[in-house]
Amino acid sequence: MGKVKPKRKSTLIDMTAMSDVTVLLLTFFMLTSTFLQKEPVTVITPSSVSEIKVPTSNVVTILVGTTEDRDGKEQGKIFLGIAGDEDPEMGGTEDVRRQALQIASQEYEKYTGKSTGITSSDLDKFAKLNMFGVPLADLHQFLSLKTEKQDEYLSDLENPNVGIPLKEIIYTNADGLRDVTNEFRIWMRAINNAGNANLSQAIKTGEGIAVKADATTNYQTMHEVLDNLQTMKMNRFSVMTALKSEQD
Amino acid sequence: MAQIEQSDNKGKKKKGAQKKMSIHVDFTPMVDMNMLLITFFMLCTTMIKSQTLNISLPSNEKVEQSEMNKAKDSEAVTLILDAKRDNAGDVLRGPNAGTTVYYYEGKPVVPENYDPKANDGISSNLDAKEFLGNDGKTPQGIRKILHDKNETVLERINEQKQLWREKKITEEEYQKLAKEIRNDSTLTRPVVIIKATPDASWASVITALDEMQINQISRYQIDQINHLDSMMIKGYRQEHGLGYK
Repeated sequence: MGKVKPKRKSTLIDMTAMSDVTVLLLTFFMLTSTFLQKEPVTVITPSSVSEIKVPTSNVVTILVGTTEDRDGKEQGKIFLGIAGDEDPEMGGTEDVRRQALQIASQEYEKYTGKSTGITSSDLDKFAKLNMFGVPLADLHQFLSLKTEKQDEYLSDLENPNVGIPLKEIIYTNADGLRDVTNEFRIWMRAINNAGNANLSQAIKTGEGIAVKADATTNYQTMHEVLDNLQTMKMNRFSVMTALKSEQD
Repeated sequence: MAQIEQSDNKGKKKKGAQKKMSIHVDFTPMVDMNMLLITFFMLCTTMIKSQTLNISLPSNEKVEQSEMNKAKDSEAVTLILDAKRDNAGDVLRGPNAGTTVYYYEGKPVVPENYDPKANDGISSNLDAKEFLGNDGKTPQGIRKILHDKNETVLERINEQKQLWREKKITEEEYQKLAKEIRNDSTLTRPVVIIKATPDASWASVITALDEMQINQISRYQIDQINHLDSMMIKGYRQEHGLGYK
């Protein structure tokens, strides 16, 4: 009696169909994706019922991170991100950034009499930066760091040299009177004058300024930033929010 | 599927013909690689773009008293946002700490003989509520106060909304009509003044602005808190046996 041998089935699975599906999914993700921009601090924005979308071009993002000083008081750290026009002729992102740094550096030297030491190679490096938040006096040194070191530098919020300072700069204006400004205002003005008419128009209507801050930030901290915007007559701006329904 | 049959002799097997091997391509590594790429794209993309809320702040320039448009007392509502505090008056921290909304209608009603410079609590017509969502369809908390104040506008807008839902008017027409109703000066509309204490959270300010949108209030303003407001909060809390720092 011969034993009946069970028929051996091959364990080969046909992966063609699977491959088809994955390629389709991959194509979908590649076409729909916009990459997350690198930001020095991660914030959870408050939610709102407003459904207006964030513009991707011609917008200045003001990111407010927080840290505590020695007395346990909350302190705001300001970072700026600049996005220029999609059309390079009108002033693309890199051109706007380069111009803004040049103007800001000149203004800073005019108000304080101190040199920033910004070189033309610094301008090129700066044009590649998505977000920055370093006092102008330290910017030259910051730009000479490697990219990883820059990220590391910005992530240490307790460092007093991180964040654009709101510290008063006192100078004598054209009429010979004492006047006050700060680096944040110098930057905002420089960006506004960076030779992109569409960006200036967007800043005027409020769509070009996006304030991004964590939901738990104290109003006091935000007020300091908003007060500076008001002083510059940038009374209109938009706030980044997450979506929620009317019911909650 | 992934193999190519190489038989062209129409089923007949010739003797001595070479045995043709089927070409089988293994797709497993391909799938592996695709899966890795998909994972990468899924993790690196932002599918939901964040939204924005437009804000207009008043100018910082000093305005002459005579040039100011004063709101009618009967129309004004002042909201003062503050972080939730424990019984001793210390601010509660954390993302879910919540907000207390103090509010009064019209002018603050305070005793005539109060000392404006003193640090004592002042009793007033201040009351406290919270930001609450709807309970089914009925508004609650501060939303109810604002809803009642703006009732005529909301009723008219809801009529138009109904027409839009029934597709009698287009969305653009509805938006235009709603805007007209919101800004119709013949209707009784509230003027809301939003103030926030230094300890109030950024989220509470956004929530307050949101309530303006939900309740279709067109006239509102963010203002700075003054000493009297703080002392009124202190007075309110003292009356309820709570501390304030």
